[in-house]
Amino acid sequence: MDDLEIIKKQATQQIQSAKDLEALDKLQTQYLGRKGLVNQYLSSLPKEALKSQGRLINQTKQYIDQLIAKRQKSLQQVQQEIDVTIPGILPPIGHLHLITQTIKEIEDIFTKLGFVRRRYPEVETDWYYAEGLNIPKDHPARDDQETFYINPEVVLTAHTSNGQLREMELLKKPPIKMINISKTYRRQASNTHSPMFHQFEGLVVDKDINITHLIGVSNFFVQSYFGSDRQVRLRPHHFQFTEPSFEVDINCHLCKGRGELNGKSCPVCKAGWLELGGAGMVHPQVLKNGGINPDRFTGFAFGWGIERLIMMKHNVTNNLRDLYTSDLRFLNQS
Amino acid sequence: MDIKLPHSLLKEFLDTSAKPEQIAKSLSLCGPTVDRITSYKNDYLYHIEVITNRIDSASAFGIAREAATILPQFKYKAKIKNDPYQLNLKQLGDLPKNSPLNLQILDNSLIPRFTAITLTNTQVKPSPKPVQDWLNLSGLRPLNNVIDITNELTLKYGQPVHAFDLDKIANQQLILRESKKGESITTLDGRVHHLQGGDIVIQDGSGRLIDLCGIMGGQLSAIDSNTKNVLLFVQTYEPKHIRKTSLYTQERTLAAQIFEKKPDPELVLPTLIAGVKLLEQRANATISSNLIDLYPNPTKTKTINLDLNWLNQFAGINLKPTQVSSILKKLGFTSKSITSQVLRVTVPSWRHHDINLTQDLAEEIIRIHGYFRLPSNLPSTTIPHTQTDPLLKHEYQARSYLSNLGFTEIYNLSLVSQDLFRQTNHKLEPKLKLSNPLSGEFEYLRTSLIPSLLSNLDANRGKVAPPLRLFELAHTYHSTKSTLPDETSTLSFITYGLDFFTTKGYLEALAKHLHLNLKFKPLAKKTPPFITKHSASVYYHNHHLGTLGIISPEVTSRFNLNQTVVCADLNFAKLSLQINPILNFKPIPQYPSIYEDITLTSTKPVADLITQLENAHPLIVSVEYLTSHQHNHTFRLEFNDPQGNLTQAKVTQIKNNLKS
Repeated sequence: MDDLEIIKKQATQQIQSAKDLEALDKLQTQYLGRKGLVNQYLSSLPKEALKSQGRLINQTKQYIDQLIAKRQKSLQQVQQEIDVTIPGILPPIGHLHLITQTIKEIEDIFTKLGFVRRRYPEVETDWYYAEGLNIPKDHPARDDQETFYINPEVVLTAHTSNGQLREMELLKKPPIKMINISKTYRRQASNTHSPMFHQFEGLVVDKDINITHLIGVSNFFVQSYFGSDRQVRLRPHHFQFTEPSFEVDINCHLCKGRGELNGKSCPVCKAGWLELGGAGMVHPQVLKNGGINPDRFTGFAFGWGIERLIMMKHNVTNNLRDLYTSDLRFLNQS
Repeated sequence: MDIKLPHSLLKEFLDTSAKPEQIAKSLSLCGPTVDRITSYKNDYLYHIEVITNRIDSASAFGIAREAATILPQFKYKAKIKNDPYQLNLKQLGDLPKNSPLNLQILDNSLIPRFTAITLTNTQVKPSPKPVQDWLNLSGLRPLNNVIDITNELTLKYGQPVHAFDLDKIANQQLILRESKKGESITTLDGRVHHLQGGDIVIQDGSGRLIDLCGIMGGQLSAIDSNTKNVLLFVQTYEPKHIRKTSLYTQERTLAAQIFEKKPDPELVLPTLIAGVKLLEQRANATISSNLIDLYPNPTKTKTINLDLNWLNQFAGINLKPTQVSSILKKLGFTSKSITSQVLRVTVPSWRHHDINLTQDLAEEIIRIHGYFRLPSNLPSTTIPHTQTDPLLKHEYQARSYLSNLGFTEIYNLSLVSQDLFRQTNHKLEPKLKLSNPLSGEFEYLRTSLIPSLLSNLDANRGKVAPPLRLFELAHTYHSTKSTLPDETSTLSFITYGLDFFTTKGYLEALAKHLHLNLKFKPLAKKTPPFITKHSASVYYHNHHLGTLGIISPEVTSRFNLNQTVVCADLNFAKLSLQINPILNFKPIPQYPSIYEDITLTSTKPVADLITQLENAHPLIVSVEYLTSHQHNHTFRLEFNDPQGNLTQAKVTQIKNNLKS
């Protein structure tokens, strides 16, 4: 390391840490002035070295000069005011779809209760979809499920309940606690219905599971998802694969369950309550079909629509089909 | 099924102090759901959802029976009246000896119960106004007093009734049988049905079909203003036949919807008796025949033992034995204590098909008690020994990361049209075609996500300025040798108005995020809709994961896209399997690295040069590509020696060896 390198190193360090323009002026004189360090070095060289070193010395001068100019600019900038209200330079902004976000939310809520998340087939045999769930081929209950068929034995599931039998077969014995989240299909297309939608199916099977547990888990879910002031109630209903079967309602957030607002009936709900979806105690025949002894174990199950939850929570739209739009002006709001 | 029930008709069977609103609310909480109430001049109309297994409540009397049990739970007084099950033959007085008709039933299994009687001197005229109002409110059309009576009975008791003009039936002969394929009948609504065969029909003495049983009567034997002799006709049919016929003829009549759900045969005769009395009252008709009542296998009474301990465990509350038996009694069940904890419960005829298990009884008791009164408890179940499929986690990671990179996520329908796939030169699988599509628009399960993404770009033209970045992560469907297709988790992302390498950068960034080292090879075989020369096959080691490339202008122009479209199409299920669940961290090097740039001149693909440099010397620990100029490619090498400080001389020596 010769002296010139030392000068260069020292200059670099001092110039880059100069506090203000005044200090920078001093450094300018100190290094590049008539009696500056570079010139001192030059004059300390023997005559014969001048030729070989001349170019190097000039490069060093230029280097220090540039360094000072650069520092000057940045010190001047600091002193100048900038308009901090000018918008920043945005990186590209992307968006997770509302359905993805909601599925994640649902999964997280149920994971807290020790449920395991599954995804069972959307294209399913008639056994898992209906027959094994206690819905024989020519049963009127099939009216409720406008089903798409690939062939007489293969359907697109209209509900996520096929996951019940599949989970029982997979685990072979309780305890079972699963949440099956999947795409479902119904032969319908209207303002409020899309031929494809999403459902999540909960299933708990163990010793001594009773109806109050279904209410407890439902309450835990709606309070986590909608807010702690919400609660569920059950009403009688009928599904072939649960006995008894329920319709699960949540109290309305707008009218606080009173059913009226400013003397008019509430625009959102039916008499203070909103329908969330179906649920029930697993039918003994379904437990049997899944290879589980109904005399030893009981269970409950529920199957609710994800788009419905989104509409209830985000006031998205009355038109479920908006969730399946490709219009980025809508999607980029999520 | 949904029924409409006028409040005034309900009051025919129910004495109560409760107002319509209160009745509706109470019923909905413990029994059939009343969707809404609409009000009319001096009446209200309940819109009620009757569930499949409760056909016994699809009538004014059925709802009254429910209400009489439920309303007291809410402190309203309520009692049923005019119970049809109390009607008996004595009320018709002495009957003539002659048979009403010459009947042949060719197959007894088609008709669990058959009753018929004839009346004469009938005066056909309009019904009284209140009856017309009931019918109108319930969605039926008043026609004349005789036909209206049959409809009124259906509304009141949930038992369909039919009346024929006896004089229009040749030889007064009825042959009840299954139809043959190709026979046809014109029903009362004027529609001609060409029968598939296996329908329950009635043929008269001249071989003509006069009734499509359980669905709708035939025009040939219809009551008209000149009718004098009426054949009143009440029965139940084998439900599967009715359902099949009703579905394919698209005659979803009220009668068909009731018959297919196994109504109570015990209600057949009471309904006929009620019908005769109304015809006598309103049409001055007189009975002109004996009664036919064929009922070869009467419903056997069914008993179920109910263990009260089990019941309380199942409900999660404590119900007293007296509460239990009082609820059962109001619903028409009788119960007898066998022990202090076990009841033997007898099921009423109208619930015969619906109540089979103790769970069914539990439902009756707990719903009337009120589900809404039950407490809320979390189960103390242990956690099952099982794990979620890591694929689900990886999917979420990929989705999140892509959205963080600036991509917008889209959900497209899994069902696509043949036209769309033709536009992109993608193949559809005939085996994955729906047999009953809604329309050509949703006809096939998609084998690729790319066509939908291209139409998404098209849909956003002129709405959002390029560049656009979209992705979808969903199943694609591929038929297999087994019954069910593969549902393959697939990730496709697409850019519009960005170049190949920017898009490739997104894919490489995603791969880094998932700690996967991807390799790209020139596309070996034609893969529509990609341009072969501008596309790559994506690999992880020797696993082929998908394609990255520019979509051919031939295809993009069909979607009106005039800028570059680059697309990555990945088998995400396969990709997910390669993700190592455990990250292994290396210690930080103890000695500083030296970085040097190097330019190589070569016609080889850059990826090969990188591999070559990576393996050239043990002290080269990383290779970063910088730029290319014709065949000169510049890289930045990182040298590091774990044993000690590297000297510049050593690095220069390695570099010089690389160049030579």
